[in-house]
Amino acid sequence: MLIVSNLTKQYGDNLAVDGVSFEANKGSVFGLLGPNGAGKSTTINCISGLLVPTSGTVTVGGLEVTREPKAAKQLLGVVPQELAIYEDLPAIDNLKFWGKAYGLRGEALKARVAEVIETIGLADRAKDLPKTFSGGMKRRLNFGCGVVHKPPVILLDEPTAGVDPQSRKKLFDLVEEERAAGACILYTTHYMEEAEYLCDSLAIIDHGKLIAQGTVAGLRSQLGARDVLQLNGKFPQQAGREATGKLVRAGLKDIEILGSDEHSLTLTLSDGSEHLSEIFEALSAAGGKVTETNLRRPNLETLFLLLTGKELRE
Amino acid sequence: MSFLLQAIVKDLSRWRLDVSGILVWISIPFLIGGLMTFIMSDGAAKPRGTLLIADQDESLLSSLVAGVYSRGQLSEILAVEQTTADKGRKSMDDGEASGLLIIPDGFSDAFFDEEAMSLTLVTNPAQTILPGIIRDVTELLLDAGFYAQELFRDEIRTIRESRTTDSNNAELAAALALAIQQKIDTATPYLIPPAMEIRIVEPPSDRPVVPMALLYLPGIILMAVMFSANGLAADYWVEREQGTLRRTVLAPARLYGFVAAKALAAGIVIAIVGGLTLVAGFLYHGIGWERLLPSLLWIAVSGIALFSWFSVLQMIGSTRRAANLITSMLLFPLLMAGGSFFPLDALPGWIAAIGRATPNGFIADHLAAEITGATAWTFASQSWLLLIALAGSGLLLSSWRMQSGFARG
Repeated sequence: MLIVSNLTKQYGDNLAVDGVSFEANKGSVFGLLGPNGAGKSTTINCISGLLVPTSGTVTVGGLEVTREPKAAKQLLGVVPQELAIYEDLPAIDNLKFWGKAYGLRGEALKARVAEVIETIGLADRAKDLPKTFSGGMKRRLNFGCGVVHKPPVILLDEPTAGVDPQSRKKLFDLVEEERAAGACILYTTHYMEEAEYLCDSLAIIDHGKLIAQGTVAGLRSQLGARDVLQLNGKFPQQAGREATGKLVRAGLKDIEILGSDEHSLTLTLSDGSEHLSEIFEALSAAGGKVTETNLRRPNLETLFLLLTGKELRE
Repeated sequence: MSFLLQAIVKDLSRWRLDVSGILVWISIPFLIGGLMTFIMSDGAAKPRGTLLIADQDESLLSSLVAGVYSRGQLSEILAVEQTTADKGRKSMDDGEASGLLIIPDGFSDAFFDEEAMSLTLVTNPAQTILPGIIRDVTELLLDAGFYAQELFRDEIRTIRESRTTDSNNAELAAALALAIQQKIDTATPYLIPPAMEIRIVEPPSDRPVVPMALLYLPGIILMAVMFSANGLAADYWVEREQGTLRRTVLAPARLYGFVAAKALAAGIVIAIVGGLTLVAGFLYHGIGWERLLPSLLWIAVSGIALFSWFSVLQMIGSTRRAANLITSMLLFPLLMAGGSFFPLDALPGWIAAIGRATPNGFIADHLAAEITGATAWTFASQSWLLLIALAGSGLLLSSWRMQSGFARG
């Protein structure tokens, strides 16, 4: 339904998106994960037609966005990261206006607007101005305006940014409803737990490049059963390497350094909790001092750490 | 309902909430217009000054001359005060009076003896209108003296001789009065009204002479239109900050339709603002109502044209503040040049020509012709076409600017 092929977007010397390719299918949620500034929004903007790609193609429902923009736009529903609603126009009139902008007319428009206002949980506030709404309600209206024309492809650009947990849950329900209705959803986020919860498949993007892609289960399996141990403190040069070498020689074969500097050391190993005392001992012998310990079970967040050596939200 | 119509309804619904803005657009021109009209009306304060007269002759004739300045309409603008030459000069040096007239000793004798005599008139250089009036009246008096000497030559000679003989003054005075009255009766049919025929050889002006206050009306209306057009064009920034312009660009609906709808909605608001100003002006000046509809249409179409170009200017700015600065820098000079503060008809020709070349000056000038002309519906088809072309080009540029980055933010 949505095919992105070798997409590149360059601003001067800055390569914001570098040869990104992926496919998203009908009735599924495809997650595009990455930290802020990784190139997620630029990718979405190229798909939606807001930006013209430097090279590569985007095909929506068989239509190439740059060649048949009007027809392709008709198939797309965009829920932008920033709110895009008329704060001084009643909620229902917002939906009507955007429905009209996407070609809905007459009874079809009326019925769809009634359905959407109900779905987003704003039926009782339909005639109120959004400027009187809470942040979560505005987000839901923003979502409703993006899907009012029942698009087969929905682009959700960090829809839960700055949203309270209750409204986040409601937005997840809305996404799941659209998936169940057969929509192809591209969901960008920098919250790994959201991606794990919602996405059928996903791609991880950093510095404009895709660094991993697959189903959530497939990506998890890349990690094996290894934990990620993050240590903060003081680690003189080579202390980490010296300590891990000693541990390997002592039989802890799968321990690896993911990242290290003077103040932190990130390791990956199996059954980390059982080897903490050995690790502290080895580090102490190498001249290191641990002040804080963080042991994480394998998840997408640790996968990102494994792939990039840095935290997703850095 | 089409997208165009829905977009018009959308903007009107939103702008309806901003009643204070509309009130400001109306009230500023009303305030300035009211002030100007008051200044130009009969109820306004007239200039008033003081004429000092140093009558050194102290004769009947000199007191008659002094009395002329405090008669009729002159008494409304001049207060005549008797003084001495020295005190009068000091007052003039202090700038306390508009003029000082010194009637020298021997003035009366010189008049009757038909001898040369000088009256001294000192005027205040810091004033223009009142000293000019005093000078004109004094010159008229001198002319009148000459004609009196010619007309009543015999009677003057009799008076002159009577001063040296011991004749019966009462009989003489009666005889003189009779003679003078007879001459006046003889001359009156020729003088009042003047026995002459005036034939105007220049063709009459296309426009009838209109009161000054009425000339202000088109400029005042244009001021309301300009304020409204500029204020409404700033809505593009509101939409950009709300993110709705971005969403509009993402939708398959035509951008030209979106900007056209906004311009038409602006045209409706401007027609309401301009219409209220028009009706007030029509009521105040008693203008024929048959001119209201064409004037209103002209204002609405002009409003759309001005709005579309203010929109382009708003979208040129890199920030909202920069955009407001750009439009303000243009708005006030345009208002000044285009006749909103001084009517074009009251300006020197070359300045008025520049003013008429500005968009608002062009619009105000045609509106003035409609309001003050001999008939209604005076707008030429070329003028309508020019306005429509102006609006169309502004809308095209607006939609291009939206597409080329303004909407993305």
